[in-house]
Amino acid sequence: MKKLIINILLIITTFIIYFLQSNFFNWFTISRVMPNLFVIFVLFIGLFSNRIMGVVYGVVIGAILDLVIGTQIGINATGLGIIGFLAATFDKNFSKDSRATIMFMVLGATLIFEVIVYILNYIVLGTNVEIVNFIRILAIEIIYNLIIVIILYPLMQKCGYGIENEYKGNKILTRYF
Amino acid sequence: MYKNKKAEIAGIVITIIILILIVIFSNADSQISFLENVASKLVMPVQNGLTYLKNKVSGNSTFFTDINNLKEENEELKQKNSELEQSLRELENIRSENETLKEYLDLTEKYGEYKTIPAYIINKDISNYSKTIVINVGSDDGIEENMTVIADQGLVGHVISVTSNTAKVRTIVDTSSSVSCSLSTTEESIVCKGTLDEESALKAMYIPDDDGIIQGDSVETSGLGGIYPKGIHVGSIQKVVNTKNTTDRYAIVQTAVDFDKLDTVLVITNN
Repeated sequence: MKKLIINILLIITTFIIYFLQSNFFNWFTISRVMPNLFVIFVLFIGLFSNRIMGVVYGVVIGAILDLVIGTQIGINATGLGIIGFLAATFDKNFSKDSRATIMFMVLGATLIFEVIVYILNYIVLGTNVEIVNFIRILAIEIIYNLIIVIILYPLMQKCGYGIENEYKGNKILTRYF
Repeated sequence: MYKNKKAEIAGIVITIIILILIVIFSNADSQISFLENVASKLVMPVQNGLTYLKNKVSGNSTFFTDINNLKEENEELKQKNSELEQSLRELENIRSENETLKEYLDLTEKYGEYKTIPAYIINKDISNYSKTIVINVGSDDGIEENMTVIADQGLVGHVISVTSNTAKVRTIVDTSSSVSCSLSTTEESIVCKGTLDEESALKAMYIPDDDGIIQGDSVETSGLGGIYPKGIHVGSIQKVVNTKNTTDRYAIVQTAVDFDKLDTVLVITNN
């Protein structure tokens, strides 16, 4: 029952993030660059629940984005699916109790996601390669994502441990030492 | 990272303030009026209060006289004010409707030779690397893939997918877009590609080797490629960038359409 409620809340959050991303952050930009809240969200799900949840949410959210606004189905789905998969790996190797560690994970996730999507876009759609501009936008996007994580970290931690207790049980040693 | 809760909250508040400042200063041009608004909202209540106090202290002898009359008058004025506000709102609605209709009319007159369907932009891409838009007309309105989309000032893009009541449009500034164009003066062919660099600029490739291209030249579609009809205005040459290898030299084309402010388009249904 609790898992069902968690999943309903995650789905509602997905819609809230979509509307924030397509309306508010379309306007509230740094040098016309938006953050990518979906990368943070999928990373958060993968970190605090399990690998399957991370991958499923990543692929489903990515596929919805591809369908609603993307040009080719599968590009965002692949990118976010990989982030969901990597999140579980991050969880095994790093502690989530530090804001700095979460920030490093977000940095890595944003970098990996955008590079994958850019390469896939180049292969599938034949986009023009502009390395310098890509790096400039990516750098601003990473900084923006990091600022958002600094702001949202307490909320992420609180909600995250609620999800973790449900999916992994509350007998995880790393939380007590 | 933070030792106690208060420090953590202070850290978050400071981060939010820094984020707002970064956003404002990084988009300085467009945010000036926003900044003015914020400043005036901060200052004006204090200013009003001080003015009120000053008036009171300066001994306005009529201030305390006939309070009842003033109250009645105040009520009447409030009533009138709400009526006026109501009619103002109605007028605002009529005016915005009128503007939209005029815009449609202008567009239809300008491209009279084409059969067109007007549409609103209902969604923009949420990625920093692609620039597609979604419009509020679809297959139910007769929209099909590859139809050309234009705006009052010029070319916008083409339809890449359609649902029953929406259509996805790849704009010409998207990085996977290439448009075959020609220069209006020399009729030389060039290819305009979308770029990540600017919101409303294109990179013109394969430009002629001779000096047949000059700043300010008008660029329009050449009709080659099978998607865009010939003669639709794309923009004008902003600058020519020379490289060591002459075949690599390119020009920056400023698009006629301002993609930042674009909200109404026309879909050409008889390409």
